[in-house]
This record gives sequence, structure tokens and C-alpha cells, in this order.
Amino acid sequence: MLELRNVSKHFAGIPAVDDVSFCARPGEVTGYLGPNGSGKTTTMKMITGLIEMTFGHILFEGNPIQDDLIAYKRRMGYVPEEPYLYTHLSGTEYLTMVSQLRNLPQRESSKQIDGLLRLLSLHDDRHASISGYSKGMRQKILIAAALLHNPDLVLLDEPFSGLDVGSALVLRSLIQELAARGKVVLFSSHELDTVERVCTRVVILHRGKLVADDSIAHLRSLMELPTLEAIFSQLAVEQDTDSMARQIADLIHA
Amino acid sequence: MRESMRKLISRLPHSFRVLYRQFLLRVVDLEALSIEADIPRFLGQFAGVLIMFSLIHMFDAFLMSLSGRPHAPEVLLAFIWSKEQSLISEMMLVVGLIAVVSWDSIFPDRRDVMVLSPLPIGPLTILLAKVSASGAIVGMSVVALNIASGFAWPLVLGGLPHFLRFCSAYWFTMAAASLFLYCAVLTIQGFTALLLPRRIFLSLSAILQLGAYGLFIGAFFLLPTFTNLAQWADPRNHRVLALSPPYWFFALFNQLTGSLPPALAWLAHRAWMGLGFAVIGAAASLILCYLGTMKKTVEEPDLVPRVRGLRWTPRFGSSLETAIILFSFRSIARSRQHRVVLAFYFSLVFGIAFSMARSELSPIALRPIAPEFLMSTIIMMVLAVVGLRNVFPLPISLNANWVLRVTQLCPSHKYIAATRRCQLLFAVLPVWLLTACLSLCFRPWNQVAEHLVILALLGWVFAEISLVGFYKVPFTCSYLPGKTNIQFAFWGFAIVLIVLALSFAPFEMQVLGEPFRYAGLLIVLGVAACGLWTFNRHSADSAVLYFEELPDPVITTLGLTLRPDASVHGRDLAVPQATSTRR
Repeated sequence: MLELRNVSKHFAGIPAVDDVSFCARPGEVTGYLGPNGSGKTTTMKMITGLIEMTFGHILFEGNPIQDDLIAYKRRMGYVPEEPYLYTHLSGTEYLTMVSQLRNLPQRESSKQIDGLLRLLSLHDDRHASISGYSKGMRQKILIAAALLHNPDLVLLDEPFSGLDVGSALVLRSLIQELAARGKVVLFSSHELDTVERVCTRVVILHRGKLVADDSIAHLRSLMELPTLEAIFSQLAVEQDTDSMARQIADLIHA
Repeated sequence: MRESMRKLISRLPHSFRVLYRQFLLRVVDLEALSIEADIPRFLGQFAGVLIMFSLIHMFDAFLMSLSGRPHAPEVLLAFIWSKEQSLISEMMLVVGLIAVVSWDSIFPDRRDVMVLSPLPIGPLTILLAKVSASGAIVGMSVVALNIASGFAWPLVLGGLPHFLRFCSAYWFTMAAASLFLYCAVLTIQGFTALLLPRRIFLSLSAILQLGAYGLFIGAFFLLPTFTNLAQWADPRNHRVLALSPPYWFFALFNQLTGSLPPALAWLAHRAWMGLGFAVIGAAASLILCYLGTMKKTVEEPDLVPRVRGLRWTPRFGSSLETAIILFSFRSIARSRQHRVVLAFYFSLVFGIAFSMARSELSPIALRPIAPEFLMSTIIMMVLAVVGLRNVFPLPISLNANWVLRVTQLCPSHKYIAATRRCQLLFAVLPVWLLTACLSLCFRPWNQVAEHLVILALLGWVFAEISLVGFYKVPFTCSYLPGKTNIQFAFWGFAIVLIVLALSFAPFEMQVLGEPFRYAGLLIVLGVAACGLWTFNRHSADSAVLYFEELPDPVITTLGLTLRPDASVHGRDLAVPQATSTRR
């Protein structure tokens, strides 16, 4: 189980994430939602160990992750928000490098890489430089790199970004399959429709603070709202969206 | 004057002025060579190095004029001709290196096409802005390299009565030689881009760039100096003369000053022809490129499937070491920026190797090992190690470093060990092999073998020195260019290097024939290498790998903190604590 206890992150004294606590359990897909700038990616980065938290504790299977960060990283797979890759490498070279950095057995991992590339429809372009890859192709490389070592904890920060419809459907099923196999899946996205279909429970963040942490069904009945989008709008969207759209159109027209 | 310049500039189209400024910043790779990303400062420092060379030549000219005219006219002629040839060769080398460093910068790249095509700017405006920016850099180099020597030598050569004629001939020759070389490079690039499919051109362009580097360095170091008319007139030398532009422009200079022997008029004729062809070729290829390839670039597919025949990749130790070594190799091989910076150092290595090869190949009989030979090999080794060490901190993609941090499953010392292996594989081993190839056939093998052992140990020592405090994975840490003052570092390094090689080579020469002293030297070097290795290994144990170079703090803290239990007469004592510092 992944557990965050009173986690805060301050940048130059300003809180980006403020006293956030929640759990993500094995066998469940936990959705992590929030508007832009609400602190989702910062939380993800703290969970991966990329940045240190200012206060609080992050525990994986009851142990603080900082106690043995290396052992924790061995069991974690991460798909970041932006598809930043070493673009001078080819898809195969990048995945091979990741497998070597993770010290995976060479023969098995090369077979896995080949299989993943084939399943993700990247096999034909596996020797082409990543610099030529589309955003969706880069996203697939990131997903393959995150799953290569069969992690127990899967952190997905907007994994659907840039994927075509077919690939998005595959990924949606994959997320559910991973959870069904007992993995902890924490999944952040702006696609509320997908979140509603995939996630067992959701955690909603607004201005760095946690505003909801419950199952979608319970939230619906509690707030008497029909959809996750309506729940999200009520909890985390402040502005009148129609009025804002009118203002933008007026501004450029003037 | 300033006001009229301002008026003239303001008449230029606004889009041209904006683009010119942008392209001026991009003529030289900023990330690779700039100081605090401040182009005027970088150009100032680059000009400073050239001016230094110019002052050395001026000093040379005044020494000659002070020491009086040499005894015989043929000796005087030999001296003057060799000097003229060296000045022209040096000018062409500098412009050649600029052409290599600014490779591709004048042609429209994909980024330019994608950004500028949707804007209402014509291809001709883009072309003119790029040509002007490149021209400004080349012009500045010509002026800087001749700012002192360009007046001193005409004065010495022509005397006061002919100063004006010699001076204008000198400057015209230098400008013409530079223009010829830069335009020739552009012509070759342009027509290659026009004739080949873009994908093949991009691959070939990298090879052409390195080939041009080798050619310019090789020509500078290998071309012989002809110091008398008999040598110039010798039919055996005609082929070299006909194919080597520095001799053409030497003839052109003498033609303009009126001192060219009629037998060499054909060479001056070649200079005029070459200049004309190069300028026309460059102009034609640039116009065709801008009109043709911009459209071609937009239409080309983003991704062309590539077939790779060989699936085998070598292993270089553990998985981690293999990953980092392959990553480093691919970064150097595929990033223009890294390749160019490393090529600068390796061009010096190969320059020395070329000049060694020339001297080695000339006599047929075996010659005993000489201090000059030892010195050259040591300098080559230091240059290669320093060059690679200087390229290591240049990042290839900072945003992508997260993957190394997320997969950091091994202790830091293993990463440092992988970096050491990179140094040994890509700097020490090539120089060692080059030395072996250049010497084993021409020198007594036992002496060469002894030297090769010493050179290997020296390479190891240099590699360890270069890794002191380097707790990074190559090509992954952010870079603060302002931390290195290129001019200071360049001259400081050059002086230390020369002193080191000068003092060590004669000592090694003495030691080579004496087994006991030789064994002693090996032990000293071995102990030094092992000591440095132990130090680096020990430091790496407690080191934290870092991916971001932080600037030095503006305010220096004293590190004084209050310890609750420390008090004197009821007043707390401030207890200094060690502040963590990062190199």
C-alpha cells in the first residue's frame, strides 16, 4: 500500500502541496485529480523521490520510502507528465538503457523490449531516433520503460496524453489489468470520463489541498451529482467557464 | 559617423534586423561555447585569443626589424616567404575552424522552416540575415587575427615607402583567402544538400564536418613550406602547389605587391579563379537551397523507418557501466554540439599526430626514441583527457534526466567508475593506440614498448585527476558556462601542459635506458595512479550524484549555529559547523 501522511511541499515558502494524506491500495486504481497547478505533478515527483517533501511522510508497505530509496525505486514504475526522453537514442536503445540501469537480465529484457515494442506498434520504428517520434509514440516508450521491470507500484502522470484512440483503449484496459494483478496504481489525469471508467477511488486536489478522497460511487451519492465531471466542477473549478470563454473571445475581437 | 550608421541600419527591414540578431546568436552553438550565454562576451573573448596571436606575430616582425636584415638575400627571402605562408595558413585555419564550428548554421534547418514559414517573411530575407550574421563572425576573426600583424608585417616587408601598397595587399589577401575558404565550404554543403535526399544529407553532413576539420588541421600541419624559387619551380612540387589554396594566396599576395616571380603567376591565377568559383558557387547553392529545400523540409516525413543490420552491442563491464558508456558514446557521436567541442581538442591531438607522422615517415632507417617524440605523445594524452573531461559537463537533454534519477539503484561510486571507464576508453585508449601505430614501425620496439607502458600509466593518472570532484554522469548535469573563463583556462592550461611535457620528456628519456630507474618511475606512476584512484573511489562512496550545477551563493554564510548546551555566563555560544559545499 502507498500511504501519504500530511505531505507538504513548499517552494520558497509558498505551499504547492499542503498537508495531503491519502492511501492507494493494491488491486485498486486510485485517480489523482485536480486543476492545472493544483500540485498533482509535485505530489507525483515526491512519491517518485525526485523531489523531497517539506513536511510529512510517504510510506510504501508501511516503510518510509526515504529509509531505503533504492529498494523502493526497484519496485516503482513512473510515467511522467511530459514525454521527456533522450531524443538522440532510438526507441530500442532507450529501453535497453533503462533495463541496463535497472540491472535487468540482458537476454530476458531484450525479449521483453522487443515484445513491448511490437505490442505498442513501435516495432517498425524501433531503430529510428526518438527525435522523430510523435508525442504518442514517445508516450508509449515511457509506458514501456515504466513497466519493463514489472513494478509493484505504478505511477502514471497523465499517461493518455498524445495517445490515439486505439492506444488509449489499450492503456485503459492495461491499467485495470495491472490493478487486478495486485499492483498499486496511482493515476493522474484530466480525462474525467476515463478516470470514471478506470478508477476505483479518486483523490481530488485543489490549490494544493485535498478536497475529496473517496470512491466515485460514494461521492456521487454524497454530493447528489450524476457524474465525476459535475463533482469535479463543484469541488475544484472556481470560474464560470462560459463567461471566461466569452471574455477571451471579446478580448481577441477587440 | 555613428548617427549615419544608425540611420543606415534603421533603413533595413525590421524583420531582417530581428532575424540578424537571432542568427548572430546561433552562428556558434551557444550551449557549447558561450560564456553565460552572452554572445558579445563570448565573441570578445574569442577575438581576444586571436588578437593575442596577432600580437605575437607583431612582436616577431619587430624582432626581425630590430635585429637588422639577415646576411644573404636568399636567407632573407626564405625567411619572408616562410612567414608569409605561415600567416596565410594560419588565417585559413582560423576561418576553416569557424566554418566547421558554424557548420549548417547558414542553411535553413527544420526549426527555422517550421517557425518562420508561417510568418510573413520571405526566404531571401532569412538568407540575407543568415549570411550577414556569418559574415560578421568571419569578418571579426579576420580583423582580430591581423589587427597588429596586419600593419607590422607590411611595414617590415615593404618599408615606409611601400607601406600602403603592402598593407592593402596584405588585407586583401587575407580577406580573399578567408572568403574563398568559407564560400568553398558553403558550396560543398549547399550542393550536397541539393543533390542528396535530406535524410542522407543529414548523416553525410556530420561526416563532412569532421572530414573538413581533419582536412584543415592536416593541411596546416602537413603542408611543406617552400622557401626558394627552385622549390617552387620544381615540377615534383607542382601537384601539391596546384591543389593547396594557401600557396595560391601566397602567390596572390606577391602578385599584388609586385614581387611575384613570373614562374609563379599561374598560382596567383588559380587564386583569382578559385575565389570567383567559390563565391559564385556559394551564392548559387544558397539561393537554390533557400528556394528549394525550405519546401522540401516541410514536406519530408517526420519519421523514416530505419533498418539496422547489426543487433549486437558490446558490453563494457556491468550493466550500469555498459549503459553509461553506450549513452556517452551515442551522445558524442550523435550530438553536433558535443562532437564539435570534442573535435576541437582531438583536432589538436591529430595535428600533433600528423606532424609526428610526417617526421616519422621521412627517414627510412630506424631511429632511437627522442625527447620531442615523448613530449608530443604526452601532450596528445593530456589534450585528449582534458577534451573529453570538458565535454562531459555539457548536458544533452536536461529534461530527460529524470530517468537516471528514478533508476538510480546503484551507489554513486559505480556511476563514477563508469565515467572513469569512458575516459579510459574514449580518450586514453585512442591516443595510446595512435602512439603505438605511429612509433612501433619506426622506432626500436623495446624503447617504444617501455614508453607505451609509461604513457598508459600517465593516461590513467590524467584520467583520475580529471575525475576529482566530478560526481556526475557524463552529459546529464546542467551547465553554468560562466563558471569557466575560456581565455584564462585556455592559456593557463596551455602553459601548464607545455611545462609538464617539457620537464617530463627529458627525464623519461634518461630513464628509458636504465632498468632500475625505469622500474622506479613505473612504481611512482603506478602509486600515483592507484593513490588517485583510491582517493576518487573513497570520495565517490560518500558523494551524491548531482544533475544540476548550482551557482555559487551570492551571500556567503559563516555557518554559525546556536548549540543549546553551549553557554558562557548564561549567554549562548555560536558554534561553527561545517557547511556542505559542492564542487
